[in-house]
Amino acid sequence: MPFETDFWKDAALRKKWDDIIPGEPRKTLPYVLTLEAIHKYCRAVDAKRSPWKGLIAPLSIHIMLMFACTPVDDWMRSPGTVNAGQSWSYNIPARPGDAITLQARALDKFIKKERLFVVHDNVFFNQHAEVICSGRGWTIRPQ
Amino acid sequence: MTAFAKLAIGQQVQGTPFAVTRETIREFCDGSLDYNPLHLDDDYMKSSFGKTQFGGIIMHGMTNFGLITRMLTDWLYPLGGVHRRLETRWRAPVKPGDTITPSARIVNKRATDAADWVVLEVEVRNQRSEAVATGEAMAEFPRAR
Repeated sequence: MPFETDFWKDAALRKKWDDIIPGEPRKTLPYVLTLEAIHKYCRAVDAKRSPWKGLIAPLSIHIMLMFACTPVDDWMRSPGTVNAGQSWSYNIPARPGDAITLQARALDKFIKKERLFVVHDNVFFNQHAEVICSGRGWTIRPQ
Repeated sequence: MTAFAKLAIGQQVQGTPFAVTRETIREFCDGSLDYNPLHLDDDYMKSSFGKTQFGGIIMHGMTNFGLITRMLTDWLYPLGGVHRRLETRWRAPVKPGDTITPSARIVNKRATDAADWVVLEVEVRNQRSEAVATGEAMAEFPRAR
């Protein structure tokens, strides 16, 4: 199924700030990382060098995997969601052909200066159950 | 002397300038699968976001993240280092026509039982020298076994 690029289309299905329960796992999807997807991402950040043996994805490939491994009704896609910052730890690189899985949840939500914040917490794994990377992000919600 | 031993507190790492255009933002949409209208729809971006008005599309904040990791891996790999962590906050929006440049500065060195570590302050500045992203990174220098 092609990736849905119209983030308005399923907007009504997504949780709003009021509905998000910190600690509750987000629905996720398995995703096979392809060479084509890596190339497309590399073009966007102009990545060139690889230190590890064999072909690897750039470490920041989790940016793409976050959308590849979540369904259309995930609240991260809500139009107007503003990314306020993120932190990520890198364990091993992802490679073409890896079957990626994600464990993700909203970890916290709060109101600050009239803005609705949600903190998300994520870990990506490969098909060997090895951690690829783990990270946390702060988002400002449209509602 | 090891590569880690040669590193000094205060040492700078300079990244490559990146010219932001509507096309590079669109490329990042395609590469990252993030099609939030913040990055695509000028009409939507004329609306108000609380007290904030952007006036047009903005670059993905995570482009900063990708450019910083690229700078750090380009610097680390020839030295035998491994990029292990990056934390950033976005300080200002980046718009088409801006040119942004990442940089880093070593602020701490620390040895643990298993490896040697470097902590760096990182930032991305635009052509007006305004910080658009700031944060901290960590790199490991594995010891030869």
